[in-house]
Amino acid sequence: MKRIDLHTHTISTVSDSDFEFSLTKVKEYVEKLELDAIAITNHNTFDSKQYFEIQNSLSIIVFPGIEIDLEGGHILVITDTNDFEISDFEQRCNRVSSIIRTNEDTLAIEQFNEIFPDLSKYILIPHTDKNPNIKQETIDSLKPHITSGEVASISKFKRALKDVDGLVPVLFSDVRFKVQLNNFPTRQTYIDLNDISLSGIKSCLFDRSKISLTKESGNDFFQATAEGLVLSTGLTIMLGERSSGKSVTLNKISASSGNAKYIKQFSLLHNDEQQFNETNNTRLSLVRHNFLGEFRKVVEKIVQVDIEQNHIEIENYLDSLKKFASENEKKDLYSKCVIFSENTFTVNDLTNLDKVIKAVETLIKNNEYQDIIQKHLETKNLKSLAIELNQKAFDSNVDNNKKNWINSLTNDITRELRIKTTGSVIEDLDFYKIALDEVKVNKFNNVTSELKINRNIHKEELGKFTIVTSTNKIEGATDLQKIGRDKKAYSTAFGYYNVSAYQYLLKLKELGVEDASLFNFFIKIESITLNKDGFVVSGGERSEFNLIHEIQDATKYDLLLIDEPESSFDNNFLNREINSIIKHISTLMPVVVVTHNSTVGASIKPNFLAITKKSLEDSVFIYRIYTGYPSDKELVSLDGNKIENYDTLLSCLEAGLDAYNERKEQAYDILKN
Amino acid sequence: MHIMKEKNRHMTYLKIDNNKGYYRIEETTEDWVELDQISKDDLLKLLKKATTEEFGMNEYDNELLQNPAHNIIYKNIYGKFTELLNNKTRFQDSVNLMYKSAIDKYTIELNEE
Repeated sequence: MKRIDLHTHTISTVSDSDFEFSLTKVKEYVEKLELDAIAITNHNTFDSKQYFEIQNSLSIIVFPGIEIDLEGGHILVITDTNDFEISDFEQRCNRVSSIIRTNEDTLAIEQFNEIFPDLSKYILIPHTDKNPNIKQETIDSLKPHITSGEVASISKFKRALKDVDGLVPVLFSDVRFKVQLNNFPTRQTYIDLNDISLSGIKSCLFDRSKISLTKESGNDFFQATAEGLVLSTGLTIMLGERSSGKSVTLNKISASSGNAKYIKQFSLLHNDEQQFNETNNTRLSLVRHNFLGEFRKVVEKIVQVDIEQNHIEIENYLDSLKKFASENEKKDLYSKCVIFSENTFTVNDLTNLDKVIKAVETLIKNNEYQDIIQKHLETKNLKSLAIELNQKAFDSNVDNNKKNWINSLTNDITRELRIKTTGSVIEDLDFYKIALDEVKVNKFNNVTSELKINRNIHKEELGKFTIVTSTNKIEGATDLQKIGRDKKAYSTAFGYYNVSAYQYLLKLKELGVEDASLFNFFIKIESITLNKDGFVVSGGERSEFNLIHEIQDATKYDLLLIDEPESSFDNNFLNREINSIIKHISTLMPVVVVTHNSTVGASIKPNFLAITKKSLEDSVFIYRIYTGYPSDKELVSLDGNKIENYDTLLSCLEAGLDAYNERKEQAYDILKN
Repeated sequence: MHIMKEKNRHMTYLKIDNNKGYYRIEETTEDWVELDQISKDDLLKLLKKATTEEFGMNEYDNELLQNPAHNIIYKNIYGKFTELLNNKTRFQDSVNLMYKSAIDKYTIELNEE
């Protein structure tokens, strides 16, 4: 097995936060993680001078590469190590650099194909389950040159590995070799290969049976620290006496992961009320965001409508029309021309037609739900529909082009005629837009009255807790100050709240409320947290709630670390509520729990055990971590030392044998010799 | 005096006669209308002719068009239509890119099925 990391950064570009490169760190990293090959893949740039400097200072193969912004996602392009290829590659990469100058720029697929016409020479690895990911259609268009995709975490790796139709997943560090780098990442991929070569790696990335998360232990384990500690991708329980290195180890795991949720000891007892409120506010803002999403778009549109201005324009039009009519007898040569008093052609808005076309094309192209779609709509009918709609769009666009062309011609003519005439001119007026604006305002008033009806909009069960979120009408200017988090004099505006939503909106604008936050001012959204008896939670229950929330929140991360949950809670709660949640999360991602508590330690049935031990050898403290399955008789440390699982577990979890006997029948039988 | 070539006479839509400008919608009739009567709908009809058929106009001549309103209208129409006649497919060209490829793609796919 060879260990490779084909995604590393050595140059700070516009796409990175600023860092200072350290060659020493590259050497340390390669040595400590026992890597067999790396690739240098900076954002949209390749520097052969620096590349050779790195290659010459390492004894392993270093591949030249680049990470390119392609169609809004990132893709690694890695080439071979001979001098000719490197020089050719650098020239091509320079073209990429000249196009991508800011972190907003991205290469189009056509540009990419033009710069790299022979893709068979390279290894191409797009971000698949990792941000910013390359779109599926882009990946499709680069087939057959893409066989593997980069994922962001162990759990994503495992998920992708199971999907036999998908790309072969790879996990790389994406590390920045900066001066301050101390805890090296442990995200690398093992490949089943004897000698490292570009074509060898390429053939492995084609075959999911040839890649692995660990050297010998397959894909149910991962390396958790740079020192070589291997833990389960499910649930690992870490035990050990006080100051035997448990927290130090958790810190290292956290740093190496880069994206771990770390619930520290006692952290939930401090400021539990403040944390409870913050948690609720975060949750609330998410619910608010979801509930008001559509209304927000409505407000964004309605803010553009200026009814008052429309009325002024109608007045002006009528005045000019009356004047024109009264002067009819005195018409001169110029104002008598038909074109002089004509309105311009109205050009049709085709946005909806384009949307319909897109929708039909989505129906045709969608693979995921093709069987359901075809049950109701035959592909051939969809294609005929697409043709007819496209034809309609084509004709309408041509028609619009013609009308625009005529409008510009008649504008030129009337402008010249108007200069010459002594008669008055009829102002131009877009009746369609004005009528539409009126309809929009009416609809807006209706939508807002619907919105103002009090209702429960969200209910979430979290362990024994229930969070109910509801909407309520605004009751006065104080409510508005709370929403705006300011002291503006909202009372005049509030006077319109129950009269006309549109007028209310205008008054809020006059007060200086930003357009983007106007949508917040139409209803109150509040939530309450209830315990299992339906009462509002007490102080003691708040920290329990916080723990459940924190553990649930972990699904957004790559790894969950919990340090002594028992320090904040009683056994009953841990046993009843927390253990099952932890077990569930460990099926989704790796979880490491440090504990002294037998309720957590033994009855949770972990996948793997790690025991930290401190021993004094030759007047020096040696810290070791012994690992193994819960059913193993012996646990083994990295340097090959062994300890008895049964004895150690008892002394860590219970106050020795006496205490154990009371619980004997419950948990430890499995371990007994 | 401006003399039209005989073979082009039938496809002329815009002419100058007796200090005034005239237009017609149908090349077969001799229903010439004075230019001050032209409307935007008439212009759209002329546009259709110009893009699909042989389309001729008397050359604009400031001296011959003594009626100033007719002069303005004639000058603008003549200029704009001359430009158009050099690129008759301009209205389709920009739109082709967006829709024609989709139409062709699905038509081919349908024929294959």
